[in-house]
Amino acid sequence: MSKDQFKTRLEIAKSKISEKNLYNDKEPPSSIGTAFKLSTELVSAVAVGTIIGFILDKTFDTKPWLILIFFFVGVIAGIMNVVRSAKKMQK
Amino acid sequence: MATNPMHQFEVYRIGPEIKLGSIDISFTNSSLFMVISSIAILFIFNLGSKKNSLIPNKVQLLAELSYTFVSKMISDTAGSKAKPYFAFIFSLFTFVLFCNMFGMIPYSFTITSHIIVTFILASFIFCGVTVIGFMKHGLGYLKLFVPSGVPAVLLPLIIVIEIISYLSRPISLSVRLFANMMAGHTMMKVFGGFVISLGIVGGWLPLSFLVALTGLEILVAFLQAYVFAILTCIYLNDALNLHH
Repeated sequence: MSKDQFKTRLEIAKSKISEKNLYNDKEPPSSIGTAFKLSTELVSAVAVGTIIGFILDKTFDTKPWLILIFFFVGVIAGIMNVVRSAKKMQK
Repeated sequence: MATNPMHQFEVYRIGPEIKLGSIDISFTNSSLFMVISSIAILFIFNLGSKKNSLIPNKVQLLAELSYTFVSKMISDTAGSKAKPYFAFIFSLFTFVLFCNMFGMIPYSFTITSHIIVTFILASFIFCGVTVIGFMKHGLGYLKLFVPSGVPAVLLPLIIVIEIISYLSRPISLSVRLFANMMAGHTMMKVFGGFVISLGIVGGWLPLSFLVALTGLEILVAFLQAYVFAILTCIYLNDALNLHH
């Protein structure tokens, strides 16, 4: 195959790819990945909130109040995380 | 012992015990598979980039495809400012991908099914992204925790929530990869146990299920490496282009 022949073939292949991309640019991510992303985001924020509450409780000796407060703050943060990434997905 | 589905995740020592102070740094099967995957990555990408022929052979095609894949992923999610971090994200993606894929070989060990490994990876990313953010924006990076258009009364609460949500990133990143890998491999082992215990009469149903599950696991192995890399890009994007 000569170089010119190769170049024309490359051009044809490139145009085919760009055509495909025009219609199918953003493939939806698989739903199992999406589900896992959302669930871990919810759980991890709750975990972080609880851990912070636990540590603060230990240092200030205010058991069990701060852990209770930070648990709920963590829940709120988790829900906000989920809502935010769900919004990002819809774009 | 062999039917225990958690047996495959056991870490054991290979060779002599090495101690650094009170820390055990002996060479384990986990380290062995890390070394194997790193060597495999180095080997394949060296081979693929050695001969830059116009018409690529298979290895070169693989290397070039993965290069364009990662570079497109970075420019799509984090923009052109993230180009200097290409090397890091590319190595991260290939390392996680190879670790996951080596775990799919029977009798091998899945490194990413241990939360401490994924957590170290994720916390390294987290620290790196935070340092980059402070380097690029100085103390202005703290604006990330103060969303615009919030009444002043709610600000203390919102800031605490935002900080918790920021701190939860490494945990959600590491738990996602670890849980996927561990759950999948446990499930495969459990179904493998069903095949043995049901014998030649009833074992065909779980066997066919196992075949489908293996395909799914290979998909998950790729997908989780991809998700890990793309979330790194998203966090990098937050640090580089500060807007909330």
